[in-house]
Amino acid sequence: MTTTSPVVLSPTDLRSAHEALADTSGPVRISGAGTAADWAGAPGTAPTVLDTTRLTGVLAYNPADLTVEVRAGTPLVRLQEELAGHGQRLAFDAARAGRGATLGGLFATADSGPLALGYGSLRDLVIGATVVLADGTVARTGGHVIKNVAGYDLSKLLHGSYGAFALVTDLVLRLHPVPAAERTVRLECPLDTAAGRAATVLASALEPVALEWSDGELLARLEGTPDGTRARARQLAELIGGAVLTEDDAATAWARHADLVARPAPRDAVVRIGCRPSRLPRFLRGEGATGGLGTGVGTVRVPPAEVADVHDAVAAEGGTSVLRQRPAGPLRAWGRAPSAVRVLTALKRELDPEARLGRGRFETWFGGADSGG
Amino acid sequence: MLDQAARDALVAAVGADNVISDPVGLRSYECDGLTGFRQVPALVVLPRDTESVAAAVRVCHRHSVPFVARGAGTGLSGGAMPVADGVVISLQRLRRVLDVDPVDRRAVLQPGVTNLDITKAAAPHGLYYAPDPSSQQVCTIGGNVAENSGGAHCLKYGFTTNHVLAMTVVLPDGEVVTLGGDSGEQLGPDLRGVFLGSEGTLGIACEITVRLLRVPETVRTLLADFPSVPAAGEVVSDIVAAGIVPAAVEMMDNLAIQAAEKAVGAGYTLDTPAALVVELDGPEAECGEQFEQVKAICERHGCTRLHVAGDAGERARIWKGRKAAFAAVGRISPDYIVQDGVVPRTRLAEVLDRIARMGDAAGLRVANVFHAGDGNLHPLVLFDADAGELERAEELSKDIAELCVELGGSLSGEHGIGTDKACSMPRMFGVDDLAVMDRVRSAFDPDRLCNPGKLLPTPRLCGERPGVYRPHPLEEAGVIERL
Repeated sequence: MTTTSPVVLSPTDLRSAHEALADTSGPVRISGAGTAADWAGAPGTAPTVLDTTRLTGVLAYNPADLTVEVRAGTPLVRLQEELAGHGQRLAFDAARAGRGATLGGLFATADSGPLALGYGSLRDLVIGATVVLADGTVARTGGHVIKNVAGYDLSKLLHGSYGAFALVTDLVLRLHPVPAAERTVRLECPLDTAAGRAATVLASALEPVALEWSDGELLARLEGTPDGTRARARQLAELIGGAVLTEDDAATAWARHADLVARPAPRDAVVRIGCRPSRLPRFLRGEGATGGLGTGVGTVRVPPAEVADVHDAVAAEGGTSVLRQRPAGPLRAWGRAPSAVRVLTALKRELDPEARLGRGRFETWFGGADSGG
Repeated sequence: MLDQAARDALVAAVGADNVISDPVGLRSYECDGLTGFRQVPALVVLPRDTESVAAAVRVCHRHSVPFVARGAGTGLSGGAMPVADGVVISLQRLRRVLDVDPVDRRAVLQPGVTNLDITKAAAPHGLYYAPDPSSQQVCTIGGNVAENSGGAHCLKYGFTTNHVLAMTVVLPDGEVVTLGGDSGEQLGPDLRGVFLGSEGTLGIACEITVRLLRVPETVRTLLADFPSVPAAGEVVSDIVAAGIVPAAVEMMDNLAIQAAEKAVGAGYTLDTPAALVVELDGPEAECGEQFEQVKAICERHGCTRLHVAGDAGERARIWKGRKAAFAAVGRISPDYIVQDGVVPRTRLAEVLDRIARMGDAAGLRVANVFHAGDGNLHPLVLFDADAGELERAEELSKDIAELCVELGGSLSGEHGIGTDKACSMPRMFGVDDLAVMDRVRSAFDPDRLCNPGKLLPTPRLCGERPGVYRPHPLEEAGVIERL
């Protein structure tokens, strides 16, 4: 069998995105900035690649309503720059944003960063979406208002779907004001100590928006008013025996955290773990491990041969795990299939009956219709 | 007709003690909080555990009997209205708090636990459950899951969907699955999030794991009067523009204030055109600092009276006035309809002006109570059924909800679509949008047995003629496009 290079389609708006799916047939691989190409199951080969990186730009921004509608191929950092001009932001800080990740990619891979403790992930911040199904059908869900319970929230179905249900073309996002001040407290300590101190912080009234173990140090971030964060940072430092960082040192510490998550050594396999926060520390062993001690979401590096063990150990504790870097050869991508895999399969049949999209990403969940390769 | 074989199987599934079949007993299940829609069910079952719920659903599935899950029946959109010849599965006997975990700050609940009882169970640990719908003393977490309920404090803290981690769900064919997980990480697509707010059409949640939050260090509440509704509206805009995210911002117009004050005497000013309740919470120092800012903003917009709650008792009194407003309207009008719609917050003044004019044209009074921070309106259409005003009132109420869509908002912010607004859905969504929702429903419930006839428009409910699609205002403005 000969391999031919795939046809690359690069839509720039909803109409051309619709045409890219309506006017083609056969498997399609949706590709954004490529920062998560290696995540979850290995994508199957496809004769058509749908490149979203030209699907960019803000469609509607009303700062007074704290909402923005943006094309899904827009890099998060570009959006943040635009919002910053109005003193606003998307309260979302997934590590790979710095590598140019698009909003659609971050959404489809259900990524999140340290701020998830304070603000949730994109599943909490996306209030509307426009999608194109494999047959070209265009559908909208949600809307431009934060409070809205009309109809099914289809955006949730796309969050974490790895492009297997539909192409997301536009997202409507809930925004937050950029806080007047932020401060970070650091304690260099062993993991066990960090876990204990984190529990103390969470039981206090100090309200950190991020609380992370980051390869040898506990980092806690506070947001609020200048005076308020100064006072709380002092209390927090006292409570855990840590130090309040200068603005520069804080930026360096968080940048290092993001690098640990998003720029691992190529030889390592990387596994993302989610579990009860109190159980997370037992999985954060090894160099370069990071984890939210309030969210229960962590990232670890392991030799490829140990990936299966990590998956099994996390599953045994009721957690979830997914591969985020695959150095070589076939590696199991998911810790376990979800309990409602039959519903997912039924949804796949309804929304993408010919299994055109997201081949391979969910390994064997959808049965024979969606094998990789 | 529910045939004898299905009846017998249902009795066997849940036990004879947990079945209601007498006409008087059945009648008490004929409607939910939206009392205009009524349908007596063929049978009510009250299972006592998840397995019995699953057994009852399996019987329904096997015998092709439609079923409707029901909590406290406080819903305001007819979402729990029974189906003719169908079964009601009441979850009122599943009311145990299964676990409260102060370390990982979560609770596991059966669906019949009331919203307020979650907070009561968490309180000894300094924790609470954030979503607080007005009916929180009686409404159940199962119903909150079905409706994705909000409440006055969802501006800062979000809705039910932001607080539910996982659910054990009985699917429409009786299979028991888990949606969601122990953290925000997901195994693939967020089925948990699709299920939340699906109004009982995708299955029955039987064990619900919710996040608990630490009780904030400080709460500050003020009640402020304004010379006009637009002036109060500008205060809300300025609070947001100052980068402050209040725990709650509620607005009432004069008619609503009069009604509430007559009912509970909470200390509202009877002749003020508009009043705001603003609440901030969080760490003491910051809360105090921002509260002073809010007070200054109020003064700047011509606030005529500003009352700060001095203690928890005074705060409770202010909230009592606000929360009593719906029922209190009964004191100034023989009948009324509670509407629920959302507009982008910046269009509040415009929508209120339009509503006033529509009320004048219809010859009906409209009182307004709303969550001003997130643009969620609750216009109360006052009428006298004895004077033959019902039809006009219903028409006006429907027009108000559809006006919200026209202004770029939503048909519902928290009460849901249910039976009430299913026929208005084509105003907000196009044919393809609704068809995709229907495909999602098919994946969960191909036989359409689980709360059929709700949420999506059906020819039977709305007439044979499909609703006319009107372009979304953002489409007309060229901001979005539809193919």
